[in-house]
Parts: sequence; C-alpha cells; structure tokens
Amino acid sequence: MFSRRFDMGVKVGGAVIGTVAAAVFLVVYFGVRNDVADVGYRPQQPVPFSHKLHAGDLQIHCQYCHAGVEVSAHSPVPSTQTCMNCHTLVKSESPKLKLVRESYETGSPIEWVRIHKVPDYAHFNHSRHIRAQIDCKSCHGPIEEMGVVSQYKSLTMGWCLDCHRNPETRIVGARPISGIFTGVLHDPKTFMSDSAAVFRPIAAQVGESRSLTVPAYGGWETDLPKHHVDGIPHPKKASLGPDNCSTCHY
Amino acid sequence: MISLRKLPWFWIVVGAVASVFVVGVLAGKITWFSEERPVEFLDNMDHQFKAIPQSANTFFTDRKSVREPVEGTVARGQDVYPLGPGDIDAAEGLNRNPGVPKTEFVLARGQNRFNVFCSPCHNYDAHGESRVAVRGQWAGIPDLTRDETKALSNARIYHIISAGQNLMPSYADKISTTDRWAIIYYLRSLQGVEGTESTTPTATADAAAPTN
Repeated sequence: MFSRRFDMGVKVGGAVIGTVAAAVFLVVYFGVRNDVADVGYRPQQPVPFSHKLHAGDLQIHCQYCHAGVEVSAHSPVPSTQTCMNCHTLVKSESPKLKLVRESYETGSPIEWVRIHKVPDYAHFNHSRHIRAQIDCKSCHGPIEEMGVVSQYKSLTMGWCLDCHRNPETRIVGARPISGIFTGVLHDPKTFMSDSAAVFRPIAAQVGESRSLTVPAYGGWETDLPKHHVDGIPHPKKASLGPDNCSTCHY
Repeated sequence: MISLRKLPWFWIVVGAVASVFVVGVLAGKITWFSEERPVEFLDNMDHQFKAIPQSANTFFTDRKSVREPVEGTVARGQDVYPLGPGDIDAAEGLNRNPGVPKTEFVLARGQNRFNVFCSPCHNYDAHGESRVAVRGQWAGIPDLTRDETKALSNARIYHIISAGQNLMPSYADKISTTDRWAIIYYLRSLQGVEGTESTTPTATADAAAPTN
C-alpha cells in the first residue's frame, strides 16, 4: 500500500523516536530520584564558611557551634554570637565576615541556605539518633573535609530504612564511633580511649538500673535506651521497632 | 565494508567516557555537584506551610519561624545567670554545687564538655597552647594549670564560665548549669588539685539552691 521508501522512513523514524524517548525517560526517571538529584547539592552560602578550616584544621568540635544537638530534635544553626566568640578578634576586619558583623549589629539572622531536608511529613530527631549512638558523619559525611558543604546521603525513606531495619549493625560496639561523644574529632588514639571512658559508665548504668543516676542531670541519663543487646544499648524495642511507620511519620 | 581508518575514533572515545559518566551519575556512583536546588518532579506535600525551626516563614512579617519568647522567659530546666563579669564577690557567695556528685560518669561528661567548648582555646590538657591559639597567633590565653587558676574557688570558675572574663565570652547559653559543674570537676582532675568550694563559706541555703 505504502511505498518502500515511506515504509523505511516509518521504521527508522520509529526506532529513532523510541530510542530518544527511552533515553529521556531513563534520564528523567533516574535523574529526579533523590539519590541522584539531592546528593551533591552544594549551594553557595551567604557567608563562605569553611567546615574544612573550622572542623578539620582547627578541630573545633561540631557541638561548639551546633550546641544543643544532643538534646534537641533540630540541629541548631549557630547564632551570630557563636561566630563572634572568636571573630571579634580573629579576622575581625575580613570582608568575608561582613554579613556576620552586620547580623551581629542589627540582630537580623544570616540567611543560610538549607541543604539537608527530609519531607515535612517525616520527623527526624537529631538527639534521638545521637542517644542511639549514630554519629554525625553517618549521614552528613566527611564534613571536616568539605570547604563548601554538600549533601552526602540521599535522605530517602529507603536509605533511612536501611538502618532502621538493622540498627544493630550501625550503633557503637559494631563499629568505631566518631568524636561527637568525646569532643575529639578524628584523632583515633584519643577518641577510642575517650569513648570507652564515656560509654563504660553508661553501659553500667543501663545494666545496673539506677546506680549512677545523677538527679541534677535532668534527663541526660534517664532517657537512655533501656533495651540492649549483648550489653549494648539498642534502640529496637520488641513491640514497636524503629522500622514502624509511626517512628518517623507522626 | 567500513574502513577502520575512517571511523571517528575520537568521538567514539568521547562518547564512551560520557556514557560511563552519565550511567555512573544516574546509578548514584558518581556525585554530580550542583549549586542548583534539586529537581522535584512531584512535590508530595514535602513543603508544608508550618513553622520549621530556624526557617523562614511568610506568616510572620519578620519571616522568623522561631518567635521571641516573652521577655523574662526562662526555659524549663535552665536558669539565667544573674551576674555580670565583674561581680566576683557576689559570685563567691551565690554559686554552689547543686548536688552534682563526682562520679566517673560526671567526670567523663565533664571531659566531653571541656573538649567541646573549652579546648578550642585552652587546649585538651588546659595548658592553653591550642591549635586555634597557635594558628591565630593568640597571646594571652591562660594556662589553666598554673597556680593562680588552681587557687580559684569552684564558685569563681563557675562564674567565669557563666559570665565570661576578659576576652572570653559567656558560655551560659551553651553549657547547662549541671555541665558547668561537671567541667569544673574535670578541670580539677587536669590540675591535679581538689579545689575549694568558695572563698565565702557562709552561703545561705537559699543562695545555694538551684533556681530551676
């Protein structure tokens, strides 16, 4: 019915259109996945703050600026006062710190660009994870090597569940922990001995119930995970595990 | 018959490398760094109109989701340190340990807090030559293990942590009251001395009671 030439055109055209459509579909389908699109998100911040300098070279601990992360759901972005603790003296005239000085004088916050974000219907609690002995680097990566911070993990639900289904492979005892509990960043010698010092009494306190309770220490010791496996505090409860929906969606 | 010599070898190599890169990125094996906000194909209620800590919120005219509490508000479990850096005598009378015992746990907690908040300037061993001081060429960070500091009372050290002194700012907003006593215990163990409670031993019970 049709000419041979037309027939060939349909075949070749179909093949080309099909190939292009498949390629576009693959790029779009995989390209918008969080593990592709979100990882590596590295926005320019209003102040060129370098974690590599502060946390890496100067070994200032995460909690010096993000103070309260171990008792709060939200990991606080430091107040300008925290910057000015040092920068009233150090580099006090630096043009890079102009916004910091302005913020300090006017009281209006610096508008940092948020990088890590879970959807608003999922609740991530920093303090809960630190109590379960998950360190900062597990999710944020080698921050102390990042001049400009980028997202390191996808923060998808599948990624969360990788841990939540098998938390015993991630908590301390199964692997060496970082310095968030010890205050020393990455000096392997001191942080291993320090972590032993910090965790021996906690483990003992969990095992022997209340022998080491400090009443004035409101909540710090009493909010420990009670359930433990092989002497290690374990977040998984028999009835309502960390892989239950309502653990994060509430 | 295709002649091998006529094939565009350069473009074939370029294409192969590009394909490996694209497949690597799409498979999540290669990180593609970008300053652009990630693509969101479908916004599944990811961004809700609610106050998220430290985020901008258009509901308020100043766009701060974290609202200023009423003046004079004190958070539960915390207290406001009432003295300024110069009120040394009042501090000696006011600051009393509210009953934090000197246990192994408290010492470890004190070490933790000391390493986080004090060591950037005073160094892990409290001798003062920290990496920040060395790099910033800061003179005048005191050695906390010298005799003058050893002679300071616990109440006075608590006062210095809470109110600041000279170049040191107040750490009252960062270190809880209990943690300050834990830090003092740990500092005393670094100094190798027991330390005195206070130079004014006749503090009233009211002044000694914690305000929380």
